[in-house]
Amino acid sequence: MSVDTLVAILVSGFVAGSLYALMASGLSLVWGTLRMFNFAHGTLLMLGAYAAWYFSDSKGLDLGLSVGILVALILLALGGILLYALLVRPFIARPGADLVVIITTLAGASFLQNSAQEVFGPRYKQLDRVVKGQVEILNTAIGLQELLIIILTPIVLLLLALFLKRTKLGLAIRAVEQNHDSALLAGVNVGRIYPLIFAVSAMLAALAGIMLGGLFFITPVMGSDPLLRAFIVVVFGGLGSLPGTIVGAYVIGIIEAIAVFVVGLYWAPVVLFIVLILVMILRPTGLMGGKE
Amino acid sequence: MSGRGLGLSPRQIALWVTGIAIFLLLPRVITDPYLLHVAILGMIFSIVASNWDLTLGYAGVFNFAHIAFFGIGAYTSGILAVRFGISPWIGIIAGAIAATIVAAIVSVPAIRLRGIYVALLTFAFAQLALALIVSQTSFTGGISGLVGVPGLSIGDYQFREHPVAYFYLIGAVLLASTLFLRRVVTSDFGLSLIALRDFEEYAVSRGVPLARQRFLAFLFSSIFTGVAGALYVHYLLVASPEVFGFSLGTLFLSVILVGGAATIYGPVIAGVVLTYISEMMAPLGPIRFMVLALLIIVTMWFVPQGVWGLLTRGFSRRNVTLPPEGLEADPDSPYGAGEEPGPAR
Repeated sequence: MSVDTLVAILVSGFVAGSLYALMASGLSLVWGTLRMFNFAHGTLLMLGAYAAWYFSDSKGLDLGLSVGILVALILLALGGILLYALLVRPFIARPGADLVVIITTLAGASFLQNSAQEVFGPRYKQLDRVVKGQVEILNTAIGLQELLIIILTPIVLLLLALFLKRTKLGLAIRAVEQNHDSALLAGVNVGRIYPLIFAVSAMLAALAGIMLGGLFFITPVMGSDPLLRAFIVVVFGGLGSLPGTIVGAYVIGIIEAIAVFVVGLYWAPVVLFIVLILVMILRPTGLMGGKE
Repeated sequence: MSGRGLGLSPRQIALWVTGIAIFLLLPRVITDPYLLHVAILGMIFSIVASNWDLTLGYAGVFNFAHIAFFGIGAYTSGILAVRFGISPWIGIIAGAIAATIVAAIVSVPAIRLRGIYVALLTFAFAQLALALIVSQTSFTGGISGLVGVPGLSIGDYQFREHPVAYFYLIGAVLLASTLFLRRVVTSDFGLSLIALRDFEEYAVSRGVPLARQRFLAFLFSSIFTGVAGALYVHYLLVASPEVFGFSLGTLFLSVILVGGAATIYGPVIAGVVLTYISEMMAPLGPIRFMVLALLIIVTMWFVPQGVWGLLTRGFSRRNVTLPPEGLEADPDSPYGAGEEPGPAR
């Protein structure tokens, strides 16, 4: 294997890993606090990309990329709260709520995907790149956008970690995560924490969507593949463990990049699936997950 | 199991007889070929959804691989006929066998895992199956589908020239499937599935073999699903990747939930009704799937037991099956089941 192939594999592995980390950390936060899974998380990524495109592109409102990104993040935070209020909140106290929420969020995903198809039409869209051009590293041309994703994602995740560790709100979130009932007794307004979690998780997904929208076409189904990888990541890293999720995301990103190189694009998902099965059977709580 | 027979009360037998009579006479009433087509599709979807009800509704297993069992039945029979020239009749049996084998394979990791992990695994499996079908273009026709699938025939009698023949054949399969499913869910086996769903620890402590029962639930739910998949391709004469797709999956889920999960009859009837509604909305494009998705959400809000559940058992079905006083459904919870203000842990 030559150096430039290795660099190419690493770059695509880290770009994918970054996107998976953003997606999976949102899923992991929701799981950690609510013990529920949001199957509409992939459509949040898609909506983030479409929102940024609509506000920034010359065929949309043409307000410039930075406005587009900002508005997309704000809209998606609100969208996350709305999704919680409509698809999760009504079922939270019901027996068997976890299965019900899977089904309502799946239905929500179908609704949002088809809405995007209806509103934006079948023509593919593409976001402007935040940074254009390429740099050469070890004789390999690397897009600056890719480089930005690789650098920016750890910073965002670090900010998220600081928010969870250092702020009072973050403390409350972790309290709910560890013990819902004790948090309630200690005066944490759990009813306020849940929508907040969904807002944060939706913003992370939107950010992933904005990054992805600059690399590939924006389509109504663009969120399904990243969501599927994020599933694998959270199982791999351990559901509810943020460090495990982030490490897992990069490991899965790299494994996928190597698999694409070795067995090709079409068989790479099979390799990932086998990894998923092995992890589930050998270590069902994930690499860094505690006991269930 | 003895003495319970098919688990039919006199009232149910009357309903069955009426249903079959209506079914036999229906092609005389439906003269519009398009309506007949919708009815045929609806019955196929009824088979798939009501069989899914066995794992999703009765066993309470978060199984999202069911759509792949349908797709595998479809592609097995389609590929055998197109690539190897094998008779569709053998293909239908092969489709059922292939779906059952795949169900057995998927169920092995799925029964070892708990709740959410089963959902993730089976969901990933269905997506994987779709990705593989799309990628193997030379064999499966890829994204554009497998074309030139032969229709069913007996001697010189070509079914595709007589859609009524498809109507009666598929109706008979739906009948067989529904009788089979009702037999399963009213048997001791079916009761043990419900026991495992409603209070796993208690059921296991009373000697219900969890892994074996769930394994069998997967197998039983896949047989007629595979047959339905094969019938679907030999009726439409094409196997397209949409049989694994999200849209069809949403339709099946809405059929189960709107009809009434864990009722069998609910999905059987809702399958035909919702397919009709869905086909009528076909000119609306994506809006059709938006309406179906909304239907699921609204049903979950207001009638979580589904229409059939509402008609037959009223609002408190879940409570009937809760464990007796003094035994909490969730031993970790200081609250009784359903009263906890937070999420179920």
